[in-house]
Amino acid sequence: MELRQASSATELDGATPVHGGTEVVPLLRAGLLSADTLIDIRPIVPRGISRERIGAGATLAELECDPQVPAALREACRLAASPQLRNMGSLAGNLLQATRCWYWRLNWPCRLHGGDECFAQEGEHREHAIVANDFCASGHPSDVAATLVALDAVLHTSTRTLPVAELYRLPTEDNRATTTLEPGELILEVEVPPCDASVYLKAMDRKRWAFPLVGVAAARSGDSTRIALAGVAPVPWLLDGELDDATPLPGNAYKVELAQALVRRAKTALASA
Amino acid sequence: MSNTLNVNDHLYEFHSPAGTTLAETLRDELALTGTKVACAEGHCGACTVLVDGSPTLACITLAHSVGDAKVTTIEGLREHPMVESFVRSDALQCGFCTPGQIVSAVALVEAKAVPTRDEIRHAMAGNLCRCGAYPKIEEAIRTWQD
Amino acid sequence: MARLIRTEKEVEGRYEEVWLVVEEDALQQWPAGARSIVGQPAVRVDGLERARGEAIFTADLRLNGMLHTAVLRSPHAAATVGRIDLTPALALPGVHVALGPGDIPQLEDDCNYEGVAVAAVCADTLAQARAALAAVEIEWTVREPLLDADEAVRRGQYVNDGPRVRERGDFERGLAEADVVVTGEFTTAVVLHNSMETHQAVVQWVGDAVEVHISTQYIWGVRDTVASGLGLPPDKVRVICHYMGGGFGSKNEPDDYTFIAAELAKRTGRPVKCALTRREENVNSGNRNATIQRLTIGAKSDGTLTALGGDFLNAVGWSGWSSSTEGPMQMLYACANVKTTTYGAKINQPPMKAFRAPGFVEGTFGLESLLDELASKLDLDPMELRRRNYADHDAADARPFSSKRLMECYRRAEPHWERRHEVRARSTDTVKRGVGMASQIWYGGGGPPSYAWIRVGSDGRVTVVTAMQDIGTGTKTAMAQIAAEELGIPFEHVTVSIGDSARGPYAAISAGSSTTPSMGPAVRAAAADAKRQILEIAAQRHHLEERVLDLKDGNVVSADGNLSSPLSEVVGLLEDAQILGKGARGPNPTGMQVLTFGVQVAEVAVDVETGEVWVDRIAAVHDVGRVINPLGASSQIEGGIIQGVGHTLSEERLHDPKTGRILTSGLDAYRLPTIADVPEIISELVDEPDEHLTNLGSKGLGEPPIIPTAAAIANAIRDATGADVRSLPISRAEMLRALREAELRAKEREKVGAPAGV
Ligand SMILES: Cc1cc2nc3c(=O)[nH]c(=O)nc-3n(C[C@H](O)[C@H](O)[C@H](O)COP(=O)(O)OP(=O)(O)OC[C@H]3O[C@@H](n4cnc5c(N)ncnc54)[C@H](O)[C@@H]3O)c2cc1C
Ligand code: SF4
Ligand code: FES
Ligand code: FES
Repeated sequence: MELRQASSATELDGATPVHGGTEVVPLLRAGLLSADTLIDIRPIVPRGISRERIGAGATLAELECDPQVPAALREACRLAASPQLRNMGSLAGNLLQATRCWYWRLNWPCRLHGGDECFAQEGEHREHAIVANDFCASGHPSDVAATLVALDAVLHTSTRTLPVAELYRLPTEDNRATTTLEPGELILEVEVPPCDASVYLKAMDRKRWAFPLVGVAAARSGDSTRIALAGVAPVPWLLDGELDDATPLPGNAYKVELAQALVRRAKTALASA
Repeated sequence: MSNTLNVNDHLYEFHSPAGTTLAETLRDELALTGTKVACAEGHCGACTVLVDGSPTLACITLAHSVGDAKVTTIEGLREHPMVESFVRSDALQCGFCTPGQIVSAVALVEAKAVPTRDEIRHAMAGNLCRCGAYPKIEEAIRTWQD
Repeated sequence: MARLIRTEKEVEGRYEEVWLVVEEDALQQWPAGARSIVGQPAVRVDGLERARGEAIFTADLRLNGMLHTAVLRSPHAAATVGRIDLTPALALPGVHVALGPGDIPQLEDDCNYEGVAVAAVCADTLAQARAALAAVEIEWTVREPLLDADEAVRRGQYVNDGPRVRERGDFERGLAEADVVVTGEFTTAVVLHNSMETHQAVVQWVGDAVEVHISTQYIWGVRDTVASGLGLPPDKVRVICHYMGGGFGSKNEPDDYTFIAAELAKRTGRPVKCALTRREENVNSGNRNATIQRLTIGAKSDGTLTALGGDFLNAVGWSGWSSSTEGPMQMLYACANVKTTTYGAKINQPPMKAFRAPGFVEGTFGLESLLDELASKLDLDPMELRRRNYADHDAADARPFSSKRLMECYRRAEPHWERRHEVRARSTDTVKRGVGMASQIWYGGGGPPSYAWIRVGSDGRVTVVTAMQDIGTGTKTAMAQIAAEELGIPFEHVTVSIGDSARGPYAAISAGSSTTPSMGPAVRAAAADAKRQILEIAAQRHHLEERVLDLKDGNVVSADGNLSSPLSEVVGLLEDAQILGKGARGPNPTGMQVLTFGVQVAEVAVDVETGEVWVDRIAAVHDVGRVINPLGASSQIEGGIIQGVGHTLSEERLHDPKTGRILTSGLDAYRLPTIADVPEIISELVDEPDEHLTNLGSKGLGEPPIIPTAAAIANAIRDATGADVRSLPISRAEMLRALREAELRAKEREKVGAPAGV
């Protein structure tokens, strides 16, 4: 394996970008990712934070305590991962993290790995998705991604500009990818439109340092409120309705009740903010 | 990329192949075994070192990506009063997680000399201790200047 | 004089009849209460080297020419190796030797749980060994695993001879006499030890002897097992462990990795290290097995227990033992009619190992939870219910307790228990608060044999020599305190040398809360022996009678106060000669049951909409006899409680229900408590010596604190919300289920109650 330092955002030459490496390094070592060449993109990805633009290389630790960052995003970062991982991990890397589905992480030949079975659906799925879970039932692990979806953020990449929600796609039989990122495309900046109030609520298995069982991000601008959820679908889930049409698996129906309770609370919090 | 490391203010040349982690290089090549590895995948904090002052998991940091950043391991903090404070407070049992705990704790008090209980719990949540020395760790950090 | 006795030996609640040579324990116990060193808080004698990262754990050993090992383990819960070809591995760079099934008994081709070792490769670096392992060609014939413990019982598939039935009185009659009967099914999940240092060994051959560096709780057990496994006389096996990174019951044996390293070391003529990865650790190094407990309690309306009964199902795994999950029901309360049946189901899952009070942790959760359901039915104060059924001798076999101060524990817990009114009053519409309690019973008396030597040098400094291990419980520190106390010298003048079977006498296992109660008396006896010799010499030097001399604060003093001369002056006469004291652990009191007791009171808050549980505070009061080091003891209590909190709220090993493969082998998915999950912990020890037990009157404290935690929390949750949680861990799913069930019950009651109110 080789490790290079990047000098230009447009010339990655097929190398795998690595920023903080908190995802890339464990995946490589577990054999879930193979790469002949890694390219350290820290020199070329912006890192500064201003009121409306955040460099995609900013770490979660930097976002967590910067007063210019909307409250929900700060909270999502504060409750994500562990202190060391927040020091190391970048915003872009967080948006592109792979699923935590244990079958996937143990390299079972499941649908997301190109196989033809979702082991979680029939198996152990207490942490899995309750909506859009018919093909792959993984629950999206990023607190930050759901929050940016609620905030209606826009990504600037090396090739295009897109709403953050469009970074994600539900995997299908023909295309197992969960993001729309093209090879060689780099996320450079995140634009966060101003809002009047925002909150992030997270339910997890312990008080700190666990992935969201359910995370609820809500943002209000004038009369309009956007709510997005982590942990309930294979991608960050923009809420439309009350989750009455959820399709939980036998072992995770509790998540519907939990999500509904957190959504109610988020709305109340926004109303009083 | 770089095959030198600045560890505890010493400059080391190292020869591990690309893909080797900082923890492996520190322990296996530089014989600095104070940094422990308990999971090797970023889940426990035993391998915590400071990189330019910031607590970092050495087991998932590529050695060649450190460049000229300053690495501080427990060996570089042996004279820090936090070490004494951990012993005084009985903030260790088996001691395997302890170097990592102390490294995180030092970074915390460098940022804020007298952290609150909640600040301690927030900043130390990435350092697991299976022996459950946590209450005494909290105390050691609260009283490190005594 | 040495005496040969036939006696019962208890480890982790299991008994064996053994022959033992014991020496009389002639010393009088010290009077109750803290002394100048024993009973005073002491910082760890080896704290600094551990904290500074200087302590060399097995994981840190780097011997010249040392090779590294990777082990191929069965990825299947039930499978046979069809074909295996090691040659591609041997062709890779750095590889020295590859072993396959049958090369040693620990490598098998018939695998009945995930993680069975099949093949192993050693190479210059670990990366090379892993790469080589990946090149091994292997084909499997996979079988359908048996995973359901109930089904195993139906098929009569047990790890031991069959169900263990223990009965006294007449359970059915007891039920008939009861005014109230409560029943419940309780389940507990598989939890993992997760010692921070994984299981590992470095082995090298020195001539015809073998040297084993190993992270272990039992140097001498490893020595015996390795000797018999390799067909060597035990004195050809040297076992070394100076520092070890946690065990909690999982590191009592050498296991497969030690034998793999030994064989590879033999074939290569080099030191070989074999270390489990965290993933291997969490599949293959043992676990606290899951249980299903179907329990019945009958009582009079005044709370007197008339019948206790239970079916206890231990889902043991493929091997191991069926731990005493019924123990608390048998032993904790006075009840004439008790019947328990315990099944050890043999299933295609990795074997259990002892984990901090095996069986009793699980059994106490069931029993003490159901007892609170009874209390609420009878409208009795739960603490009062327990007092009314207090056992003043071992109810199971009529033996007296050597000492029992549980009533005193209840008394001291009273102020914490009284807080419940104020705690409940702080509830809001969504966050309900409550307080719960649970009692604890367990072994922990230790026993013979165990030996210690004391060496007094001419500088007056003392070394305690014994080949024991300190697994983080601080026994090294406690031994230094005991020696210093008996010798009347400053604590700082004592060094403790442990950790090497070639450099010290036999020492007990560090499991079953037994190190301090087993080793401590031997150390005191050795110190007393050395002291006697010192005083003999001093008497001759100063022309005084021995009986008027004593050692105090490092001085030889006479009763009349005329003599006070530094110890170093007396022993300084010896120049390079030394005084050697020797001591042995005396026998346990005959015909008595030696047990530990305690109570914990938990305060919780429950969010009734999201099922989130906060454990805010746990007060623990335990009776373990004399306390040697109150500082270390409080750390043991906190550690036990925190593991208990994990077991109660977040820890659970999951497996795939079809294949039986373990899914939560990483610490991302297996959730240990973090510092943010820890309640405020208040600990108190009764600290009264057990007058019948040894020259110290001390019992062990490693295990008792983890035992009542789960039940105390579950009972606090019931107090707060009315919900009966029945299943550990109390995940969001379980908490929300219990809350909704309680709501339904409340509605039913209203419906039923309505006509009467009209
Ligand atoms: C143990 C653990 C626990 C965690 N817990 C949480 C949690 O609770 N909540 C949560 O939200 N997150 C959690 N995370 C995720 C964590 O926040 C991310 O791992 C981290 O932010 C990733 O950033 P990185 O810079 O290290 O990414 P890297 O590992 O460097 O990269 C990750 C991926 O992104 C790609 N990439 C990185 N930067 C760019 C870029 N600028 N443009 C294009 N591609 C890029 C890489 O090629 C790679 O595919 C956890 C992670 C771990 C390991
Ligand atoms: S949930 Fe998705 S990632 Fe998990 S097993 Fe199913 S297809 Fe694979
Ligand atoms: S060893 Fe690095 S996080 Fe566990
Ligand atoms: S002291 Fe043993 S793991 Fe922390």
